Amino acid sequence: MLDREGQALRDDLLDLMRSGAGYELSTTDFDRLARRVFAYNYRHVPAYAAYCRARGREPGSLESWTQVPAVPAAAFKDVELVASGATAERVFRTSGTTRGAERRGEHHVPDLSVYRASLRATFAAFVLPDGARLPVLSLVPHADRAPDSSLAFMVNDVQRHFGAEPGATFADPEGVDYDALDRAVRQACDEGRPVLLVGTTAAFIHWLDRLAASGARHELPEGSRLMDTGGFKGAGRTVAPHELRQAYGQRLGLYPHYCVNEYGMTEMLSQMYDAGLRDAVAGRHGPPRKQGPPWLRSLAVDPETLEPLAAGRQGLLRHLDLANIGSVAAIQTEDLGRVDEHGLVLEGRLAGAQPRGCSIAMDLILEGGT
Amino acid sequence: MSEPFRAFHVPRGVTVRDLDLLEGRFLCLYPSPDPGLLTEAVATARKAGRRLADRPVMDLVPVIDAAAATLADAAHPAGDVARRLVAAATGYSMPMTDMVITRMVADWRSRPLEDLLQAELGEPSVLDRFVPAGPDRWVRAYGPDLSFHVFSGNVPGVAVTSLVRSLLVKAPALAKLASDEPVLPVLFARALARQDPELGDCLVITYWPGGREAVEAVAMAEADTVVVYGGGPAVESLQRRAPTGRRLVVHGPMFSTGLIAADALGGDLSRLARDVARAVATFDQQGCVSPHSVWVEDPGGALAEPFSAALASAMEEVEQELPRGDLTPGEAYLIQQQRSIAELSGHAAGGRVMASAGTHWTVVLDPEPAFRPSCLNRFVRVHPVPDLDRALRALAPHGDQIQSVAIEAPADRRLELAHRVARLGASRITTFSRIAWPPPNWHHDGSSPLRELLRWVDLEE
Repeated sequence: MLDREGQALRDDLLDLMRSGAGYELSTTDFDRLARRVFAYNYRHVPAYAAYCRARGREPGSLESWTQVPAVPAAAFKDVELVASGATAERVFRTSGTTRGAERRGEHHVPDLSVYRASLRATFAAFVLPDGARLPVLSLVPHADRAPDSSLAFMVNDVQRHFGAEPGATFADPEGVDYDALDRAVRQACDEGRPVLLVGTTAAFIHWLDRLAASGARHELPEGSRLMDTGGFKGAGRTVAPHELRQAYGQRLGLYPHYCVNEYGMTEMLSQMYDAGLRDAVAGRHGPPRKQGPPWLRSLAVDPETLEPLAAGRQGLLRHLDLANIGSVAAIQTEDLGRVDEHGLVLEGRLAGAQPRGCSIAMDLILEGGT
Repeated sequence: MSEPFRAFHVPRGVTVRDLDLLEGRFLCLYPSPDPGLLTEAVATARKAGRRLADRPVMDLVPVIDAAAATLADAAHPAGDVARRLVAAATGYSMPMTDMVITRMVADWRSRPLEDLLQAELGEPSVLDRFVPAGPDRWVRAYGPDLSFHVFSGNVPGVAVTSLVRSLLVKAPALAKLASDEPVLPVLFARALARQDPELGDCLVITYWPGGREAVEAVAMAEADTVVVYGGGPAVESLQRRAPTGRRLVVHGPMFSTGLIAADALGGDLSRLARDVARAVATFDQQGCVSPHSVWVEDPGGALAEPFSAALASAMEEVEQELPRGDLTPGEAYLIQQQRSIAELSGHAAGGRVMASAGTHWTVVLDPEPAFRPSCLNRFVRVHPVPDLDRALRALAPHGDQIQSVAIEAPADRRLELAHRVARLGASRITTFSRIAWPPPNWHHDGSSPLRELLRWVDLEE
C-alpha cells in the first residue's frame, strides 16, 4: 500500500492511463509528472535519496526528466528499492541465470493497480489496436504457478481483461506442452477462429524448431497475432529479428507486422512494443521502432560517462517510467540502442566485461558468503 | 601499427604459407590452422629437443638470460618493439607495460633461473645425467618429450615464464597464444633463436581460434604434458578431450585479497595505502595476484575510514604514475554500475564510494563484511571488521578460488593468520608490496613449477 501522497499521485497517473496509451504527452507535461514522481521516490526510498544527493540532484533542482538520477537495473539485486512504509502488494523477481550463482533482482510493487492500468493501456494500443478480442493462447506459466514473474502477471491480466473464450495456458514452470499447443492451434485453424499467441521468444523458437523438424506448419486465420518477449535466454541460440519473423510467417502463417515484440523488464511497470501493427491499423507507415506509452520515456547514454547522447546515437538505454512510483522511476539498463523522434531501436546487450587477465570473473564467484 | 604483427614462431626449415588475420585491439597474422603444418613443425621441434639432452642445463640458462636481456632493455630494438606491441595488444598504458615487461623479464635472467633450479631440484645436473642418490642408486629427471601450452589472458610475461620452465627441463614446447596478448611469447622466441638457433628450434608458437578440433587433436596427441592457463568451457572441453595418461597442469582463474590487522594501521597510513594501491593498479587488477578487496581490522570503528581515504589518494597518485589502460565500453559501464550499486547498498550502514572523476579508480568502503568480487580495472573494496576472524569467515566459502593473500600484521599474529588462510585454500601469503610480483621460484597455485613437468627415473645397481 502507498501512503496518502502516493495514492494521490497514483490516482493522477491512473487518470492519465485511462485515456489509453495512444496520445501525446508534451515534454512540459511529462517533466511536470516526472518531477512529482521523482520527488516521491526521493522522499520515500532512503537509499535512492542519498544516491541523488551525492549527485547534487534533489527535488526542486531538476529542469528536465533527463536529469533524474537513474539506478542500474542490476541494483535491484542488492538493494530493496521500495518506498519506505509501503508494504509490497507483490514482489516480482528476475529470472536469474542458468549458472544460478547470481542473485535475483526484486521489484517490490506497493500497488498493482498502476501496473495493471499501464500494461492494459499499452497492450491494447500496440497489440490490439484494432480492438480485437481474441482467445489468448499463452506459452507463459499461469501467474498462480509463477507468482514471482511479472510477465506471468501481465499475461494473466491480459488473458482475463482482453481475452475471448477459449483462451488457455500451455506452460507451467517446468516447460511448455507443445503438443497441447499444437492441438489448440490446429483447432483454431480448422474453425477459422483467430487467436493471440503470447510467450517468450525462447519458447517460440523451441516451438518453431519442433515444427520445422517435423515439417509441420499452421496457417493461422487472418487477424491472428503473436506477442513475444524476453530475448533469447534459454533458447540456446539467437535469431535475427527478421529471420524470426520469417519463421513465424513460414510456420504459423503470420504477417510480419502481426508479430509484435515486447520490450520490458521486471524492474519497470511499463512496457514498449513494436509499433508496426498499431501503425498498420492506423494506416501509417513508420520506420521499425519500439514505442511505449506516454508515461514512459527513454534515452541513450554514453556507457563510460553515463551522459545522455544526442537523438539517434547508439548508447545504453535509460528509461524513466512514471508507473514506478513505489520504487525508482529512472532505470539504467545494459541494453544497447538508439532513441529518436520515432521511438527506440534495440541493438542487443552491452558486451559483458569478461576479465582479460587471469583474475576470476565476477560472475563466477558465488556471492554472499558471510 | 600499419603492418599486422606476425604472431607465430616456427623452427627453421618449416615454411608457413597461408596466413589468417586476427582482428582485435591489434591486428595479427597467424598461420591458417593446418593439422599437417602443425605436425611438421612439432616433429622438427621434437627433433631439436632431443639434442638438448646432451646440453647441460647450466649452459641453457645463459642463452635464456641473453634473450631476456634484449627484451629487458627499453632502448634495445627488441625491448622497444616489445613494449610498443604489448601496449597496443593489451590496452595497458605505456608506463604499465614498461613496468610489467621489466619486472617479468627480470625473472628470466641467470640468477633467478639458477635459484629456481636450485630450489626445485637441489642439484640441477639431475636434468643432465644420472646423479648419485644413495649408496647404490642414481636418479635422473626427464622433462616432457613435448609440452603443449595453452595461454589465455592479457597479463604479459605469464606465457613466457611457462615456456622458460619448459626449456629448463629441456622440453620442446608447442604454444597456443592468447588473443589478448599474442606478442611477448613470439618476441621471446625470436630473441632466443637469435642467441641460439638450435634452442629457438625447440619452440612452435602459434594461434588458432578456439574450437579448431583438428588442430587441437594434433596438439593433444603429440604432447605428453599439457599446461593450460584459463578456465571456462574451452578449458573444460580440452580437459575432457585429453587422452588418458596425458599430464595436465591447469592454472585456472583465481583471485587475491588482503587482511590488515589494527596493529599495522598505527602511525603513517600513506605507505601501506601506497602498497595496496600499487598492488591493485598493477596489471590494472587483471592478474590472479591482484587483490579484489581488503579487510581492515577496526574494532573501534576509527581505522577503516581514514585508511580508505589514504588508499583513495594513493590510487590517484598511482594513476598519475602508472595510468590505467583503455577499457571497452562494457568494462567502463561495469565500473559505473558497481559504483552505483555500492552507493545504493552501503548508504545506510556508513558505506562510501571514493572515486576518480572518470572510471580510473574506485575505493569502496563497504560496511558489509561479505566478500564481493571486484569488477576489476582498479576497483577495490575495504571492509571494516571488528576482528579478522570475521574476514576469514567471509573468505571461507571461496577457499578454492583464492590465490594470494597479503597479510599485514605483527609477526606472531601474521604466522597464525597465514596458517588459517592456507587452510582455507590460499597458496601464497605475502605482503601488499610483493603481492603482484611472485618470485620465480614460487609454488605457483600450490605446485612446483619445474617438478610438475618432470618424470623421475631411478637407476639401481
